[in-house]
Amino acid sequence: MTDVLPPRAAAGPIIRTPADAAAAGDPIFQPLHFRNLTVKNRIFRSNISGIFDNQDGSLTQTRINWESKFAKGGVGGIISSYVPVLMEGRIIAGYATVHRDEFIPLWAKLGEAVHSFDAKYIMQLSHSGRQMDLPGVHNQMRPSLTSTSNRETLHGFLCRAMTKGDIEHTINAFAAGAWRAREAGLDGVELHAANGYLFTQFLSSGINDRTDEYGGSLKNRARFLLDVISAIRSRVGRDFHLQVKLSAIDRNNVIPWEHKGNTLADTVQVAQWVEAAGADAIHVSSGSLFPHPLNPPGDLPIDILAVTYDAMISSGVYGFRNFLLFRYPLLRPIFHWIWFRMKKGHPIEGVSLEEARAIKAAVSVPVLCTGGFQTASFVRDAISGGVVDGVSIARSLMANKDLVQQWAAGHDLPEKPCTYCNKCLANAPKNPMGCYEEARFPSREAMIDEIMSVYKPRADMRIPLASEL
Amino acid sequence: MAARKAVTAVEAHLAATRWQLRLGVAVVALLIALGVIVLGLGLCAALRLSGSATPRYASDVDHFKYGSIGSEPQSGVPYAVWKALPALYPKQFEGRNDYTAFGFIYETDEAGVRKELPIGVSKRQVNGVDVVWLNCATCHTGTWRASDGGVVHVVPGMPSNNLDFHRFVSLLLTAATDERLEAADLFGPMEKAGAHLDWFDRLVWQAAVMPRFREGLIRVRGRLAPLLERQSPWGAGRVDTFNPYKLLQFGTPAASLTEAEVHGVSDFPAIFNQRPREGMELHWDGNNTSLQERNLSAAIGAGVTPKTVDHASLRRVAGWLMDLPAPVSPHPLNAQAALRGQAIYKAECFACHGGQEAGGYVFKAEKLGKVTPIALIGTDRARLDSYTKEFREQQLSKMFAGTPYQFRYFRKTDGYSNQPLDGLWLRGPYLHNGSVPTLTDLLKAPAERPKAFLRGRDQDVIDPVNGGFLTTACTPGQPTPRGTSCYDTALPGNGNGGHLYGVGLTPEQKADLLAYLLTF
Repeated sequence: MTDVLPPRAAAGPIIRTPADAAAAGDPIFQPLHFRNLTVKNRIFRSNISGIFDNQDGSLTQTRINWESKFAKGGVGGIISSYVPVLMEGRIIAGYATVHRDEFIPLWAKLGEAVHSFDAKYIMQLSHSGRQMDLPGVHNQMRPSLTSTSNRETLHGFLCRAMTKGDIEHTINAFAAGAWRAREAGLDGVELHAANGYLFTQFLSSGINDRTDEYGGSLKNRARFLLDVISAIRSRVGRDFHLQVKLSAIDRNNVIPWEHKGNTLADTVQVAQWVEAAGADAIHVSSGSLFPHPLNPPGDLPIDILAVTYDAMISSGVYGFRNFLLFRYPLLRPIFHWIWFRMKKGHPIEGVSLEEARAIKAAVSVPVLCTGGFQTASFVRDAISGGVVDGVSIARSLMANKDLVQQWAAGHDLPEKPCTYCNKCLANAPKNPMGCYEEARFPSREAMIDEIMSVYKPRADMRIPLASEL
Repeated sequence: MAARKAVTAVEAHLAATRWQLRLGVAVVALLIALGVIVLGLGLCAALRLSGSATPRYASDVDHFKYGSIGSEPQSGVPYAVWKALPALYPKQFEGRNDYTAFGFIYETDEAGVRKELPIGVSKRQVNGVDVVWLNCATCHTGTWRASDGGVVHVVPGMPSNNLDFHRFVSLLLTAATDERLEAADLFGPMEKAGAHLDWFDRLVWQAAVMPRFREGLIRVRGRLAPLLERQSPWGAGRVDTFNPYKLLQFGTPAASLTEAEVHGVSDFPAIFNQRPREGMELHWDGNNTSLQERNLSAAIGAGVTPKTVDHASLRRVAGWLMDLPAPVSPHPLNAQAALRGQAIYKAECFACHGGQEAGGYVFKAEKLGKVTPIALIGTDRARLDSYTKEFREQQLSKMFAGTPYQFRYFRKTDGYSNQPLDGLWLRGPYLHNGSVPTLTDLLKAPAERPKAFLRGRDQDVIDPVNGGFLTTACTPGQPTPRGTSCYDTALPGNGNGGHLYGVGLTPEQKADLLAYLLTF
């Protein structure tokens, strides 16, 4: 594909490949050295996937295909989509988990696939806590385990505050998950302590209302995360890559009467504790829930939510209310106001970059940042300016899997850039993950073909043994 | 049967909290229902409290007798109270369940059923409450009979010879502070008198109608009582036009009235044939040359205010009065004597009064409708003096100020206006204060004129010999028959002197003149 792209400006050497760019000194294409891991360039595929896997949590060929597409596109590292360490911590049923040893070979196969395209694979270890969008049959009969017994405020998910026993059990599950990732030959793990999942629910002063040693002061609220890091280090040792994704600012008041939650200063402190506890990198995001008006930044297609959110109506007490707000155009301005008022004054590209700068200034481990990156020069300036060490990208890479190669070929922006329409996000509860911005494709059929391409090639089919049935 | 297990935790939660939803829905439904009820009640109340209507009459004469000119809102009596009063004050009403005791006249309808209101009392809905009060016919409709026990003829436009307005007003002012007029005690008598009051009516009556009525009466009483104390009872057929006007319209304290102006009681005038009177000096003292303004001022006397006056109604009355003929005299005609009398009249009387001729009354005469100075006419000057310059200035500056109806024709005169004598046979007793019973008496020297005579109910038998009505002598201070009062010419304002025209004629000449005057 790079061959058909036109050469860059006539003057100077013609840069065609990432290797050329690296040789030419482009900061984007310089290797990034973590303590235990070196990545070939500064671009990471941020965590994203679809309902591609089996209901029991085992992963499929489809996921391998999905991840390989990005690896082939030239990113240095891939951060897996959210991977639950326990079935009770799933966000959406149908996403692969790492709660069983039996899945190690499957993940190993995925790792091999990604490595074959010269990219690193970092498993994002996660627990939904209360943010359980589609509970599935495993979880539908119980409230979500989290830091509080208060109901989640956007969808009305039911919650139960974790007991000490629950916490200990969960800490062990994270450690076991990290161990399985290591056993599978993956290149590292990331703790998803951002975007409103279980770690955020403990960290955030807007959510955590505990009165024991896991609630109250910032130190207490950070205890669960620090305990998990400590347990992982105990289990996998000091030489396995471990990074932590943090929401720099909670901005927990999406529902207007909620508390704002943690500030940047809180998160800078947490990042320092995290580094001290043994993390190898910090990954900066934003917001105490997902999605959040600032993550992913950009538009919110309420008209698409009107035909997809029905999958979530029964998940929470407020599901039907929200559906009505999306379904009826006369009511849409209500949600529009709630959502879009938070976006005022914030850019789309590099929405969390300034917060990353503050965190990088406070820690000595590398810092990654996510949020709307798509322009080579912008990313280059951020890296060369020392604001961050690398960036992670989800939507722009989904729109142009070869974004990195296009950058190397000299394009500042891809020909058909991501429009930040967030139609991918709005389709997530119901449809396969992919770019749903029809305007980027020659036809609707072309768009569907592109989305469906993840299912090819088919997994090898075999006749099961009688004992397996 | 065991309760069905919920399918998900969310469903279980929703089922467990469904009572809250149901309670919420029930509360909202209740609030909506309450809202609807309150709205409905409010609407009903608004409809009932906004009623503002008055009966319209097809014929002009019925409109004159019963139509509203707008006196009710400010001055009226709630109809239910009006109906209950006779039972509450049996002594004053002489035990009758109507207002005839005060000289009000009742007619019967085609079916022979007596009408619910007397002539001169109109009804209007004010804020949904029926209120009655007076109109032009109150003071300008009288009766006559050919003989005692004869048919009572009701004549719209003639002076109200039966009405004792003073007694009627005094009763209301007495009632103002009387405990019998407290709402709670009034409901019984009102319902006995035929009023139908539901709980809402009672609420409105207790909260608004009665307090407003009573306090209005008490306010009027506060102003009028000091005046009435300084005056003798007015007696039937008479009214003090301007002194109550000063007190009620301009708040002039009664104590500030001079002794000269405080006795201005005079007779109700006849109001036939208004068109030829346009431009004449109207009122007894000729203080106004505009029919329209005189009418409006008279309406004020009946209780209208600049805010409540029904101009269209007044215009209809005024239009009808323009050509209302005086009824033809029923007295037997002595043609020869009358012819001789006409000649005497031409010489002695015509220049001031015009006269009855074959083609009708002649309203063109040299001094007709002009004021004759008091020094010349010599009649009682109390009525003239009751209209003062100060009062005139207040009238001109305040009455209907800022509207096209603002008063501008009133003026102060120095005598009494020469009146046309149309319908003269219905206009006794004579002179502006009704101090001379008959025409015969008027042709006598003042000293020979009757000193005291009865006025009031049943004093309406016409006198075919002397003109006017048959009158009975009385002794001031002695009891009089019910419904009458003894007119004492010795009282201030009641003087029967002056108007010496014709006094010097011979008895034969006087008889001839009288024969002619009986045709008026």
